[in-house]
This record gives sequence, C-alpha cells and structure tokens, in this order.
Amino acid sequence: MTGVYVLGVGMTRFGKHPDKDAADLGSAAFQEAVTDAGIEPRQIEAAYCGHVFQGMVTGQRILAQVGLAGLPLSNVENACSSGATAIREASLAIRAGEHDVVMAVGTEHLTTKFRGALTPDPSDPEAAVGATMPSVYAMRARRYMEEFGMTRRQLALVAVKNKRNAAANPLAHFRKEITVEDVLESRPIADPLRLHDCSPVTDGAAAVVLVSDRAVKKLGNGRAIRLAASTLFTGTVDVEPTTMTFEPLTHKTALAAYERAGIGPEDVDFAEVHDCFSIAEVLRVEGLGLFERGAYPGAVERGEADIGGRLPINPSGGLLGKGHPLGGTGVAQVVELVRQLRGEAGDRQIEGAKVGLAHCRGGKAVGIEGAACTVQVLVK
Amino acid sequence: MTTAQPETVPKSFRPVEFEVTAGGEGFLLGSRCSNCGAHFFPVRQACSGCLHADLETVRFSTTATLYTFSVVRQSTPDFAVPYALGYVDLPEGVRVMAQLTGRDPEDYQIGMEMELVVEPFGADEDGNEMTGYRFQPKEGSQ
Repeated sequence: MTGVYVLGVGMTRFGKHPDKDAADLGSAAFQEAVTDAGIEPRQIEAAYCGHVFQGMVTGQRILAQVGLAGLPLSNVENACSSGATAIREASLAIRAGEHDVVMAVGTEHLTTKFRGALTPDPSDPEAAVGATMPSVYAMRARRYMEEFGMTRRQLALVAVKNKRNAAANPLAHFRKEITVEDVLESRPIADPLRLHDCSPVTDGAAAVVLVSDRAVKKLGNGRAIRLAASTLFTGTVDVEPTTMTFEPLTHKTALAAYERAGIGPEDVDFAEVHDCFSIAEVLRVEGLGLFERGAYPGAVERGEADIGGRLPINPSGGLLGKGHPLGGTGVAQVVELVRQLRGEAGDRQIEGAKVGLAHCRGGKAVGIEGAACTVQVLVK
Repeated sequence: MTTAQPETVPKSFRPVEFEVTAGGEGFLLGSRCSNCGAHFFPVRQACSGCLHADLETVRFSTTATLYTFSVVRQSTPDFAVPYALGYVDLPEGVRVMAQLTGRDPEDYQIGMEMELVVEPFGADEDGNEMTGYRFQPKEGSQ
C-alpha cells in the first residue's frame, strides 16, 4: 500500500469575514495549497470538503470558483471533526490506489450561522433539556476539579498559553495575550467556565494537498511531510456510566494511530489538540497518553506545554486562540503541523520537531461519549 | 364514591423519553436488554453490550445520584438563565442529563442524592403548557 504525503498547505486568516462566504474562504485556501504544492490545478484528481452548517454542496461551490468543477468530490460532515475526516477520506482514496493527488479542504462561515453557544442538534434529548456545548464541558471541568484537585487558576493557564501562542500566529483570530486575571474576570458562560475558557465563533478555511508515493517522487518539492496515520472512530454507547474525566474515544483513536505510524506517545514532539474549551485540552492530552491522568494542569503550570517546553501543545494558538471554524479546524491543525515540521512557523517555531500529532473530536449525541474523533500523525 | 379525574392528561414535552401519567406521575423511559439486562437511555433499537435486538421499553427509577453539574449563564433561546444542569446516575446504571431544581444554583454538590420532580417545561406550538422532568436534592441531602 502506498504512503501518503502532504505536499501543499493553505489557510485563510481565521476570524470574522463579513464580506466573504464559506466557498470564498475555501477557494482561497484551496488555491494557496495548490500554489504551495508547486503543482498545476489540473493535477488535482479528486477532492473532499469538510463543513458543518454551510448547506448543500459547499465543496462543489468551491470547485466552481477555482475552475475545477467536474472533479469527483464528497462533502463530509462529522461535526467538529469534519475537516479532519475529509483528510482521512482523501488519504484512503490514495491508499486504495484510486487517486495520486487529492485535495482536502475544510471551511466554515460560522458567524452567519451561530451566535453564542453551540448546541447539539435540536432533536437530541439533551438539547431538549437545555444542553449547550459549554455546559457539557463545564460539567466535565467541575468533575475533574473534584477528582484531581485542579484549581480554577490552573485551568485558566491553558487559555493564557494558547492565546500567547496565537499572538505569534498572523492567521489567528486573537492576537492579544491575556492574563489569568483576564480569564477569571471574563463573563461567566457555564460555571465554572468563563468566556476565555471557550473557543470563539470564527470564520475560516484551510486546505491540504495529499499525494501518493508515486506522485511525491514525480512532484515532490523537497518539502513533503509524511502522513503516517489518519485514524477515525465514533464514540460508543456505554452499557453503564463511565468517567467523564477521561476520554476512552480519544485514547482508542490515538492507540490506533500510534500503531499505524509505528510510534508511541513518547515519540510525539508536539501536538495540536481539540481545545474547544480549556478543560478540553486537559482531557485530550491525557486521553492521547501524552501526559499522565491528572498530571496536565500541573504540567501547564510548569511550562511543559509551552513552545520551548518539553511537549508543546497547540503552538498555533489552538481553537481557543486561533479560532474554531468547525469544518476548517481539523485541516488547519494539519497545516500547522506541516509548517512546524518544515520549519516555516515563524515566531512560534518549535526547534527540531520531527513528529507532530493532530487530534479532533466533535459532536454530541445523547448517550454517546463523543460523536467523532480523529488523530493524524505527521512525520518529517 | 368516584375518583376525581384530571380534566386532561399532562402533555409530556418529550413523550418518547418521558411519560406523564394521568395522575401526574412522571417516569423517564428507556430500554432494557432482555438478553443481558443492560439499560439504556433513551430507547434504543439494539443493545450496545450484546447486540441483542429484543429490547423492552421500561420506566426508570425516580431516584439518582448527582454525578456533576453546571449553572448555565449564557443560554439557548429556549431557556431563561441562569439554570442548573446536571448529569444524574440512576440505579439502573444509566446517566441522564437533567435540569436541577430546589436549591440555589451554588448549593448543589457532586454526590447528592436526588429525586425526579414533574414540572411545567415550556409550551407546544399552540401555546399549551407541557410537562417535563427536573431533579431536586432529596430532603436532608447535603
């Protein structure tokens, strides 16, 4: 079976784009990825487009804008893992031998679709009793604080770190550093979480060109990064209640990725993880096996997750700092991994990184731990 | 002697998950696997434990333990803030999300013993009041 490489990447600025729509943003990222790959647009053989709230055939609207209507394209929806799932589908098309050069693009114009808190689908029994995504993570935070003694200040440090990283990322939604006090004094959203514990409503898009062994030999620009694993699982229905302070779904998806990539968590040099809320980063990195259970809040306090620390987490600024345009998020994580591994990350560059991991987790449905989880491993 | 009947049976806000009897009692509904005995909320078509597809719909206990909770300050359009929201664990081995009632938002504690109460819960498209469930701390629960 062929290997898969990321040959080109593109990404719009994340933030508010009142003068553009999801297809405009997706098209800009698409064209940048083609240029970055050093290929001609006609060399793209197929495409996958991840988005959540952008309506029918958003991917086809992108193709029409960039002059490539006619290609095989699938639109992919997996909540906040939609873009990451598009990458997985693109990689499978290459591994299957069907295509050699495939685009995965993720886009979202969220500011025109949502205000305030995201909620599960209205048909869901938990939505019917008032569930919001912040409140679900707030409940997990409260339980984690009770079980592991995490302080509110320690949790705030996750947001402080990610906003600091975002300040060094020219494409991030937020470019301003904040303090612990800023977090603790921000508007209450769902106790114990406050505004700065929550990712913003963001517009943006990202795109990656994936290629086969054969294509990387022919087209390789010397900057290709190997996609060593791209795994996906959905959450299971528990037959009895399990802990909400650890993520079996994240753990299972990570183990499959480590096995596929032939590495262990100790080999990961840095990671982009799905920090939709400050507490989410804690749960993700522990589920991924990058930090021991209960150990991450202390590690953040000691600077271990900073750029320059033992294991940098979310050097891009993460969802908290860079922003969270749902469909764009998972693709943008891989863009960051590629830029870091190429040494093109500017002021937020991690020195000497060889292995990067990206983790997405999205969606809420009653009785399921999490709807969709992806882990991608990129190796220089 | 005749028993007084209520004029109308209270209307459940979610009849598939919550049954309200003519007498005004309320029960969460779910599935019990007739093969392995596992319980599920809400009703499922097959057992996620053993994949047996013969499940019976059952009424769950009305007591529970509070697993965790939050107080929602930024709401959806459907609910006035603040409201307390929690996950409660039922004796059948099922965790259910529910709004909490009976205490000030700051006075709930993880591990509290809770009980289901039937309360007005929004209105249908015609403006008729509907009935739903909340959980409140049992009397004497700390």
